[in-house]
Amino acid sequence: MTVTHHPTEATLAAFAAGTLDEGRMLVVAAHLAACPECRRTVRMLEATGGVLLDDLPPVDVGSDALARAMAEIDGGGRDAGLSARPGRGGEVIPGLSPAHQTLLASYEMGPWRWVGPGVSWRQIETPTLPGGRVFLLKAAGGTALPDHTHTGTELTCVLTGAFRHEHGRYGPGDVDEADDEVDHTPIVEPGGECICLVAMQGRLKLNGLLGKVLQPFVRL
Amino acid sequence: MAIVEGAKGSVRDHDRLIEAIAARADREAFAALFAHFAPRVKAFLMRSGTAADLAEELAQETLVTVWRKAALFDASKAGASAWIFAIARNLRIDAARRQRREMLHAMAEEPEPELAPPPDHDMEAGERQKRVRAALDHLPGEQRRIVELSFFEGRAHGDIAGLLDIPLGTVKSRLRLAMNRMRSLLGDLT
Repeated sequence: MTVTHHPTEATLAAFAAGTLDEGRMLVVAAHLAACPECRRTVRMLEATGGVLLDDLPPVDVGSDALARAMAEIDGGGRDAGLSARPGRGGEVIPGLSPAHQTLLASYEMGPWRWVGPGVSWRQIETPTLPGGRVFLLKAAGGTALPDHTHTGTELTCVLTGAFRHEHGRYGPGDVDEADDEVDHTPIVEPGGECICLVAMQGRLKLNGLLGKVLQPFVRL
Repeated sequence: MAIVEGAKGSVRDHDRLIEAIAARADREAFAALFAHFAPRVKAFLMRSGTAADLAEELAQETLVTVWRKAALFDASKAGASAWIFAIARNLRIDAARRQRREMLHAMAEEPEPELAPPPDHDMEAGERQKRVRAALDHLPGEQRRIVELSFFEGRAHGDIAGLLDIPLGTVKSRLRLAMNRMRSLLGDLT
């Protein structure tokens, strides 16, 4: 899988700093699962964080801090890794890579909902994410996604299939970052269906007649 | 205990300390690591806006996490300070989000079976840290400042623009320049 469209430096830096909201963090993680180059960048940033941490002038900690940490260590065990998380009962989403299946496995999701001819979406539940939303968007080959603009930013990672718009072709692992100045009409490549992971802040505004008809039902 | 608070050991020593905790639950190694990192992790958290009391609690939790996860530490992938930085960063995030965020950040470490070059086991942790520090020192001061504020302290770009009294676009372009510079200097590193 060759990735050509990457998140911006600012987005990668925010991911490494832990300041992205959960939806955008999930989209960046989906990209990283497919992009060794950006994984290297994140590791480089973490190494940079380590150096900056090491160089900070220390501040005083309580005289009993070590003793309290020792007491806590004696109270608990040592674990070997991340504990298992609840998931969607092992449901597999067809067409996704194993890494993307794993990434999404711990999230509750709503049912697929129809948005327009050949297009459906599926809400991903992220209770910690106020004011933004993250969902899967699925479109059949050859479909034009609804012409839309946003009131906030939209971060998309292709999970399977491909779409095109004026900035090029977006295949698995590619990320498309759009802000409120972008008005785009992505078209899914003919052939297989395309599933994207989309994190959105603000509201989506559908343009055109179809959009006017659909908007009240879609709630995007 | 004959450990000077905040004493600066060599970078390699810190890696060895974590390995000693993993190998034999070495409490003296933990105490030495605590003396160096707890005051710095607290300072780091306070810089990103955490109140002193909570920062101290989280610094303590960071080091306890180091103890518990010591078996996962791999010096060939990340040095002690980078690893501890990542733990402290994850703790900076509120508890409800923590577990998922950890998993998402773990994606950054997922090996790519076909594409990943073999990790450079010859590169000593100390060498890596030296090169990262040199790359940072190589940045123009204004770019380094943006890296510190944006990435390290986790401030929003709008806040930084206000703080430094520069346009938002300048914040973004300086961050981009700094990251490209560092990538070109350190691209072979990790």
